[in-house]
Amino acid sequence: MKNIDLTEKLVKKCLNLGADAAEVFLESNRNLSVNVLNSEIETIEEAASQGVGFRVFVDGKMGFSHCNDFSNRSLDDTISRAVAFARLSTPDENNVLTDDKGFTQVADLFDPGISAGTMDKKLEMALELEKLAMKDPRITKSSGAGYGEGESEIFIGNSNGLLKTYKSSGCSLGVYVVAEKGNQKNTGGEYCSRVFFSDLLPLEEIAAVASKKAIELLDPVMIKTQKAAVIFDPDVARALLGGIISAINGERVMQGASFLKDHLNKQFASPLLTITDDGTRAKSLGSSPFDGEGVPTIKNVLVADGVLKSFIYNVKAAQRAGVKSTGNATRGGFSSLPGIGTHNVYVSTGKHTRNEIIASTKRGLLLLEVTGYGIDSVSGNFSGGASGIWIENGELVHPVKGVTIAGQAFDILNSIDMMGTDLDMNRTNTSPTFRIAEVQIGGK
Amino acid sequence: MEIKKQIVRDIPRRRFLELSMKGGLLIAATPALMSQLVSCKNGARSTSALDVDKEILDRVISKALEKGGDFADVYLENRISREIVMEESIFKSGLYGISQGAGVRVISGNKTGYAYTDEITEEKLLRAAEVASYVALNGNTVSPVNIAGVERPSFITVKQPLAEIADEKRIEVIKRADQAARDYDPRIKMAFVNYNDEIRSRVIANSEGIYLRDELPLLFFIVQVMSDDGTARHMARERLSKHSGFEMFEMVSPETVAERAAREAIAMLDAEEAPAGMMDVVMQNGWGGVLVHEAVGHPLEADNIAKEIGAFTGKMGQKVAADCFTMVDDGTLPNFRGTINFDDEGTEAKRNVLIENGMLKGFMTDILSAKQLSMSRTGNGRRESFRYIPIPRMTNTFIEKGDDDPADILASTKKGIYVQSLSGGSVNPVTGVFNFTCREAYLIENGKKTKPIKGATLIGSCLDVISNIDAVGNDLDFGPGICGKGQIAEVSAGQPTVRLRGINVGGSKA
Repeated sequence: MKNIDLTEKLVKKCLNLGADAAEVFLESNRNLSVNVLNSEIETIEEAASQGVGFRVFVDGKMGFSHCNDFSNRSLDDTISRAVAFARLSTPDENNVLTDDKGFTQVADLFDPGISAGTMDKKLEMALELEKLAMKDPRITKSSGAGYGEGESEIFIGNSNGLLKTYKSSGCSLGVYVVAEKGNQKNTGGEYCSRVFFSDLLPLEEIAAVASKKAIELLDPVMIKTQKAAVIFDPDVARALLGGIISAINGERVMQGASFLKDHLNKQFASPLLTITDDGTRAKSLGSSPFDGEGVPTIKNVLVADGVLKSFIYNVKAAQRAGVKSTGNATRGGFSSLPGIGTHNVYVSTGKHTRNEIIASTKRGLLLLEVTGYGIDSVSGNFSGGASGIWIENGELVHPVKGVTIAGQAFDILNSIDMMGTDLDMNRTNTSPTFRIAEVQIGGK
Repeated sequence: MEIKKQIVRDIPRRRFLELSMKGGLLIAATPALMSQLVSCKNGARSTSALDVDKEILDRVISKALEKGGDFADVYLENRISREIVMEESIFKSGLYGISQGAGVRVISGNKTGYAYTDEITEEKLLRAAEVASYVALNGNTVSPVNIAGVERPSFITVKQPLAEIADEKRIEVIKRADQAARDYDPRIKMAFVNYNDEIRSRVIANSEGIYLRDELPLLFFIVQVMSDDGTARHMARERLSKHSGFEMFEMVSPETVAERAAREAIAMLDAEEAPAGMMDVVMQNGWGGVLVHEAVGHPLEADNIAKEIGAFTGKMGQKVAADCFTMVDDGTLPNFRGTINFDDEGTEAKRNVLIENGMLKGFMTDILSAKQLSMSRTGNGRRESFRYIPIPRMTNTFIEKGDDDPADILASTKKGIYVQSLSGGSVNPVTGVFNFTCREAYLIENGKKTKPIKGATLIGSCLDVISNIDAVGNDLDFGPGICGKGQIAEVSAGQPTVRLRGINVGGSKA
């Protein structure tokens, strides 16, 4: 039986086995990865797999179950478990399923060419990538290079008559190297992920970035504990984005577990900050024609000129809030319930080039690496470990490692005083370079 | 971030769509990165799918080594899991899952080939063996030994098997925790209660002739409590986990777990901004051991040592830490969360002393890294599921107890930070640079714990921190956690109260 027909049949089976309403989420995947180390194969992994999750409602009470064995006996048993579980649960009037039959047209989410390439060619790319990243004599060791690819097909059906499917693909190249000097060690890595195999960046480009990252923080100088400007590189901007995204999760907002819960339609950040979530962008790893419960995806402005414009919702949270789903149901695969998350989040560009931002900074840190959890979405507290390059009078003067940066989210986000023009739209969470006028830095 | 983090880190799921399409490819493509991204499930269903004839497994292993190779193994798994979540005193979800499959691995020199299948049939297993054997082209060949059952000691006892527990009993412990949290104080606004249990059945067979089969029950109970007094909010957390039966809740009640979280949530409402810069840190006993899990444990896993890039490369037998510092990974502690009897390659669990009185004594190995380093197998080859290759992982990792009275450690610290609990952290295993986020911490002024401070990040380098430990208490305790290294593993981490000199604290106040 075809998976689309199986999905439809399983919805009916849920109803036959006692559910009042039901949703079936079925997926099939194929993955391949090859990792190399020191010009030799380290690992080759390949697999095809499948699985199905059942969300069932009985008297407004919900149960969920999943399995990866598609035999009739196993499917029946798994569905019955969900129904039995629902009976024990508490009713919730927000337990509803979408009836939106719409389908957002999103071009180029699947590349039939990915599986066409031979294993030898993919292996060769990984080997070459590692070699190129080791070219600079300051790079002393490799931690490995790799190529990975995946294809996925999603099927969603529910008892409101919805039945949808789409196919997607992705591929990725990455390399990780070590630079050593005396007793110092520094690591640098870079990767490139794309929907289409032919869109992967040239190996030279990926290798050069990894190598540069490993080298540029050698010979750091410790700085004093002080307040100074901090320029966020696009690579680390997500340290701030992640906390904002968690804080606009509609369910957490209603629970009061968000530092942005009272800020809808209010200015909470610098007017230079505009953030959009776009699930409809062509050829993007974060895009899809519908979300994790079948609601069509949209392009949604979350923050406009520093004003919070929208929270994000799945169907259940939207029902509770009395609004429409924003198409932000996310699923961690067939074995999980729909949560709430974003597709492709980007910060809009500003007026200044990265070089102008650096040149106009009298004293500050060009932040290249941040560790820690970013902004705490409940309290708005931010603290992290930091590395980067120190700036004096608009010039990059020396690397800095082992310092900390910290502050309160509102203070930091209101202090964005320059926004860059360098936005890479090939990443799913992306931002141009931007500057925070003043942040507490912890050093010696 | 807190909540999202909990969902991502504490409630792991089979995320293979996401893993294959997005982040996972990054991990697959940059193996060392995955070790920096630091961060389980039951029923009565039969696991007859694992009843594969030994002759079939022999044929699969022979097929895997047909083209050459030094070693091959087959891993069959069946996992029955439950997860029940209560938020705002309402059951948000109840999950029941069955996952089964098998993986075939071939090692040839330094190369590993791996393939897995959801369907446990001879045909699919032979196909996986053929795919895995790709790496062995032109390699050496060993002749597999026919498999036979072997005995391993068990460190896990079960009084109330999870398969015999009615769902009503699971629901009851969740309700009790929720009630206890809300009764604690009117400023407690909400509890998130997450109950997980699983029974993982394993069959391991390899070309050295072993055949092992067992069943591991696991319980994981997480209570998060949010306080709000109108000006400040804090999300607190307490976790309880064991490889055991449902009797776990008779040893520590759900109310106790909830009250511990509620106490933290209220205490931290008054938190002030933390100071920034270098200072002394006293870490309370228990889950704080995650600091050495990250900072020292990961760099002592033998895979990066075999690659000759790990922070402890070339330091075996040398003095790497203060005399008072002894660190152990022990997979035999009875019913502990990190105890799995034998690892996922069939090697029996052991007590492994890694650093003894400051001297580096051992690394944690799997079969491949033990061979590469000509070391013995330590029982640390673990895997998240049949979808993953086994790699060196920790079990129950801790700083051995010392002689100091914890009260004296605090009293003799003039100024600094007292860390009562950490959220978690990560380490770069190559450079040894680590970071941790404080969950509950206080200022130390004149040898006394004073004001609570907001979640600051602590950073440092592993070799510095273990050289600068100057006091080790006599009050060893443990906490449960989830460790992520491209794949997740259930672990525990422990320590007595310790003092670390000169840690950089990421506060927002000068």
